[in-house]
Amino acid sequence: MELLGNGSFLIEQLMNAIMLGCIYTLVAVGFSLFFGVLDVVVFCSGDIAVFGTFSLMGAYMIFETAGLTAMLPTPVWMMLLMGVAAILCAALGVFTYLSSIRPFEKSSSLMPLLSTIALGVVIRETIGLFFPLGRNPQRFPRLIPSGSFGGHALLSYRNVTIICVTFLVLLAVFFFLRKSKMGNAMQAMAQNKRLAAIAGINIRSVAITTFVLGGLLLSVAGFLIGAYYGTVRFDNGSLYGIKGFSAAVVGGLSNVYGAIIGGMLLAFIEVFVSILPGGAAYASAVAFIAVVIFMVAKPEGILGEKTVEKV
Amino acid sequence: MSKEKTAEKRNSGVPLLTAAMIWLAVFFTLYLNYNLSLPFLAVIVIAILTLEKKGVIESAYTACIKGRKIFLLAMLVGAILLPLALSARPYALHIGVLVCIYAILALGLNFQMGSADMVNFAPAAFFGIGAYTTGILTMNLGISPWFGVIIAAVVTCILGGLVGAPTLRTKGYYLSLVTMALQLIFSLVIVNIKAVGGPNGMAGLPGFAIGSFSLHQAHDFFGIRLPYQANYLYLALLLLAVLLFVAYRVNLSSKGLALNNIGQDEVVARCLGININKEKLFAFCIGGAFCGIAGAFYGHYMSFVGPDDYDFSKSLMIICMVILGGMDNPLGVTVGAFLLIGANEKLRDFADYQMLIYGLILMTALWLRPQGLIPKRVRNYELLFHKKVVLGPNKEKKEAVLPASEE
Repeated sequence: MELLGNGSFLIEQLMNAIMLGCIYTLVAVGFSLFFGVLDVVVFCSGDIAVFGTFSLMGAYMIFETAGLTAMLPTPVWMMLLMGVAAILCAALGVFTYLSSIRPFEKSSSLMPLLSTIALGVVIRETIGLFFPLGRNPQRFPRLIPSGSFGGHALLSYRNVTIICVTFLVLLAVFFFLRKSKMGNAMQAMAQNKRLAAIAGINIRSVAITTFVLGGLLLSVAGFLIGAYYGTVRFDNGSLYGIKGFSAAVVGGLSNVYGAIIGGMLLAFIEVFVSILPGGAAYASAVAFIAVVIFMVAKPEGILGEKTVEKV
Repeated sequence: MSKEKTAEKRNSGVPLLTAAMIWLAVFFTLYLNYNLSLPFLAVIVIAILTLEKKGVIESAYTACIKGRKIFLLAMLVGAILLPLALSARPYALHIGVLVCIYAILALGLNFQMGSADMVNFAPAAFFGIGAYTTGILTMNLGISPWFGVIIAAVVTCILGGLVGAPTLRTKGYYLSLVTMALQLIFSLVIVNIKAVGGPNGMAGLPGFAIGSFSLHQAHDFFGIRLPYQANYLYLALLLLAVLLFVAYRVNLSSKGLALNNIGQDEVVARCLGININKEKLFAFCIGGAFCGIAGAFYGHYMSFVGPDDYDFSKSLMIICMVILGGMDNPLGVTVGAFLLIGANEKLRDFADYQMLIYGLILMTALWLRPQGLIPKRVRNYELLFHKKVVLGPNKEKKEAVLPASEE
């Protein structure tokens, strides 16, 4: 237990890395879900996640002024809060599909990338303009009580919640993909779209379900971002988007398991560079340099399959 | 021969009219206040769209190529008159200079994104590297700004090659990610380097000077007092004209064709014997050099180099220009830069909405017109170089042969 003591710097940083990795992983899983099923890079994923954080904050503000937080028991309004954020994120996911993916189904594969980047800018700026004082950094409400299991700083409620939530959500996603009929349809579509259509799968509804699922996943990521950092800025989304995309690519873009490895790897690099003397300012830069080197050395990712272009 | 001459005379009207229209549009956009110029910009866009649909732009294009001596002369006269006409409004002149700089950047990106379909998300990084290079050289070593621009172009050209070389293995999304990462690395690192001022940047870059004629001072010109921005506008227009010419020649050369081929299908290009790596590197090098020149010019013009001018959002802006204007069409790209910078500077009063409007413009442009306002043209070599095309239509062949037989 000495190792888990409050003073152990290294273990503390390890914990930080795991939690940062959880956030990156969730965003990256969103990316690989979209890419796997529809072959598109949805670049506004990070912005959808930050939108989730802001909708949680907005809903909390409304709940508090309406007196719901005092009236209802804590678990109930917490669930309501999460529900509101999840519904909003899922709706935004569907909007993303309808506005920037579907119109470009037949055009070059770079069009959805550009249109989702544009949509990301729109989401970001909309938050900044219409959230009360949205351009300032926002304090995330203390949804998770402070304190810790057994008095260890490492096992604070926040840390344990973040890890457990990530684990449960990932488990749910995998069960959904493996066991449910819709999940199987998604996998079929990922393998071969035309064959899936011939086999009687409704491609439109599968695509929309994918974006609903992705939106839910990203709303959880938004919750984690708020809970981990405590303060959020409206334009953080692009950074999470690029980090999540990097993590997904490092892991192998169409592989959901790879996203977990990629997310953790990126977070570990970042945290361990930041604890080096004078490294804090360069943490993100080093992480991106690592991504570039990795991309050049192994473009298909850790778990990705190498594709050979045939005529 | 005499028949041809009269025909040429008759054709000289269209090029003159086109040049006049172009310069009038430019003048009014820059001259008017934002409440008038924004609707004016919208009118320009709608006019371009309708004229394009009716084929007027295509025939004006052809007429301008046929009567290109007159057209270029008219353009030259317009370029000389524009700064004089705007001399009472230094801010309008400033916007003009910015338009030229961003048009050069967009031309640089067009080599990669327009011609070869490789979306490079780091043009602003090259822009910044050009500015910082000349900043360091002129401030610390006392080199003339002219040499600073040349060295910046060489440095960014080499860097373009260095960035391009490892990315040859990647394409599509992966290339986008790598270039995005490079752009972010540039922004993150430059803020932390104390030697170049970190977040504060470097101030006090020397301005250009020809002998004792400093471009950074107001001068009298035939009795008209020209603010210093006018000098820079002349220089920027000259630079833009030269680089536009280079871009056109590259676009028409075998390099341009090879890049188009790579953009459409790499496997086919390889089968046709195109050295893909060489052509891609070429696109990165020349694009980098263009961005470097623009950056060095911008640095000396503003006499300030700071990290905020070269971040990811600027890259997005340049990408926006290429898409909005028209991929793989140097002229279209220039129009895109003009429209977006014009709108951007006139929207200064609504700075909070600027990025939102950018996002909306990009989305609408992608929805309604993914090929851009002035899409790429079929290269008309016969008209451009007066060379007999072997497989041309019969009618044109006869026309090309007839005058020779008459003599």
